[in-house]
Amino acid sequence: MTLEIPAGSLTALLGPSGGGKSTLLRIIAGLETPDRGTVEIDGVDVTDVPVRKRGVGFCFQHYAPFRHLTVRRNVAFGLEVRRRPKNEIREKVDELLDLVKLAHLADRYPSQLSGGQRQRMALARALAIEPRVLLLDEPFGALDAQVRQQLRRWLRDLHEKIAVTTVLVTHDQEEAMEVADRLAIINEGHLEQVGSPSQIYDRPANEFVLKFLGPATQFGGSWVRPHDLTVHRVGRGTGQPGVVERVTHLGFEVRVDVHLNNGERTWVQLSRGAADELGLEESDVVWVAPSPHALAATGMRQLSSA
Amino acid sequence: MVDVGLETHRAPPSALSAKSTRTRALSRGAAAASGPALAVTYLSLLVLLPLAAILSQAFTGGPAAFWREATSPESLAALELTVVCSLIVAVFNALAGLLIAWVMVRDEFAGKRVVNAVIDLPFALPTVVAGLTLLSLYGPSSPFGVNVAGTRVAIVLALAFVTLPFSVRTVQPVIAELDRETEEAAASLGASPAAVAKRIVLPSIAPAMLAGAGLAFARAVGEFGSVVLISGSLPYKTQVASAWIYSLYGDDFLPYAAAVSTVLVVLALALLLGMGWLRRRFDVGGIQ
Repeated sequence: MTLEIPAGSLTALLGPSGGGKSTLLRIIAGLETPDRGTVEIDGVDVTDVPVRKRGVGFCFQHYAPFRHLTVRRNVAFGLEVRRRPKNEIREKVDELLDLVKLAHLADRYPSQLSGGQRQRMALARALAIEPRVLLLDEPFGALDAQVRQQLRRWLRDLHEKIAVTTVLVTHDQEEAMEVADRLAIINEGHLEQVGSPSQIYDRPANEFVLKFLGPATQFGGSWVRPHDLTVHRVGRGTGQPGVVERVTHLGFEVRVDVHLNNGERTWVQLSRGAADELGLEESDVVWVAPSPHALAATGMRQLSSA
Repeated sequence: MVDVGLETHRAPPSALSAKSTRTRALSRGAAAASGPALAVTYLSLLVLLPLAAILSQAFTGGPAAFWREATSPESLAALELTVVCSLIVAVFNALAGLLIAWVMVRDEFAGKRVVNAVIDLPFALPTVVAGLTLLSLYGPSSPFGVNVAGTRVAIVLALAFVTLPFSVRTVQPVIAELDRETEEAAASLGASPAAVAKRIVLPSIAPAMLAGAGLAFARAVGEFGSVVLISGSLPYKTQVASAWIYSLYGDDFLPYAAAVSTVLVVLALALLLGMGWLRRRFDVGGIQ
């Protein structure tokens, strides 16, 4: 596979677990050696450069804190082994602790921090060496849902502030789309597609990408997003007649399963308001059609022509 | 039973969980009351009583006699030899044990399981058998032509043999528990392999190494069986404290033997207290 990561971008390697994302990240870092192929940073081949000279910041999924060192010394580690002057280290570390909002916990030990705080400490530690590339392995994987949400937004803001080229690995498509400005979809060691979140969501290169990024259903012989379909009581030009099999209320959305007269089973995702307006019930006869938005865009034509 | 009442009062007055909390507090209270009593009784019978007996035996002739016997030239020579040899062995085995434990955890090789089992052999072997084995290997009839019998080298050799398991087995589980990602993290931050070893690995395993060295030292100070044969027990030269005590006992100088024993006990106690203090200092670092 060939993957270009533009300077200053925040790229997510996204794919199912065991698909080789983390291995790719570790190869970029120099923690793993590729069987063949090369890694270039700023156009320079670094494949044979050991990890400690590669100038990458790596954040591990479980943060890998140095337990015997305080938060301050953790962050200072990279500068201490580089034998920078003491006052320079102190200044830089103070600055970073402010950035990650841990200044008040500088003298604590990692065991005295929460998961989110450890994550931020690990980030500050990686940033201290002013890496050319920042690599994050499942950065929010070990956190509970609420903290994860906060940290996603925080990471987004941080990246805008410091603009270091960042690659993160995740198996959570929602997380990837929220945080990253570029996605690289990886499955079973293959690169399936690269692009912006909306590009990939609206123009998936293949069935795998389509299904991985969100719900998909069959309509007219191709795959579509269920929210790109609409349901009508009366037939229109492009509609397909069918019978409602089931109506499921899922909070803010309503799932309508329809058995089309042409034999296809499809389902449509409606907003609650739209569903209430239609007042659908089982065995109702309806017409299913692609929404105007979907026709104008996207996936359907891409896929059917592919 | 007073304990039980106290525990119940201390339980949080939460309306919902009051009942279950109290039940738990009661059983905990009962265990807390009988547990220490049992432990103290057992400890008294096994450890404290014999210690008291030695002390009273040592002071039968009064403090002056005790002091004279404890610091007689032959006693001092034996005690000094014991402590010096034990220190050498503790330090040496701490390093050798670290190396062996590291290889056992981090490297894969054929016969690893066998080697792992062999490490415990000095534990399982009666020490006299260990002494005999060493004598036949490194004594006058050594198959390698190495004869150290009757020298201080022999003492160190024998002590190193019997204390090796302490040094390996205290460090091995700690190495196995090391988070390898911290080593990778340190490397990614620019640390050389030597810096990773010094700044990341060593601080994590130092408390265990220290504990292993302490156990090895304590064991070496009292070692008798493995040393007595190969060292020859020559007074002022290769006679360790335990051998000196044994010969005094054999010659029916019981209070004299008890006096030297008391010094050994005090040494061991001081060592254990010192180790506890050191460990507390390490623990401040938040190492679990």
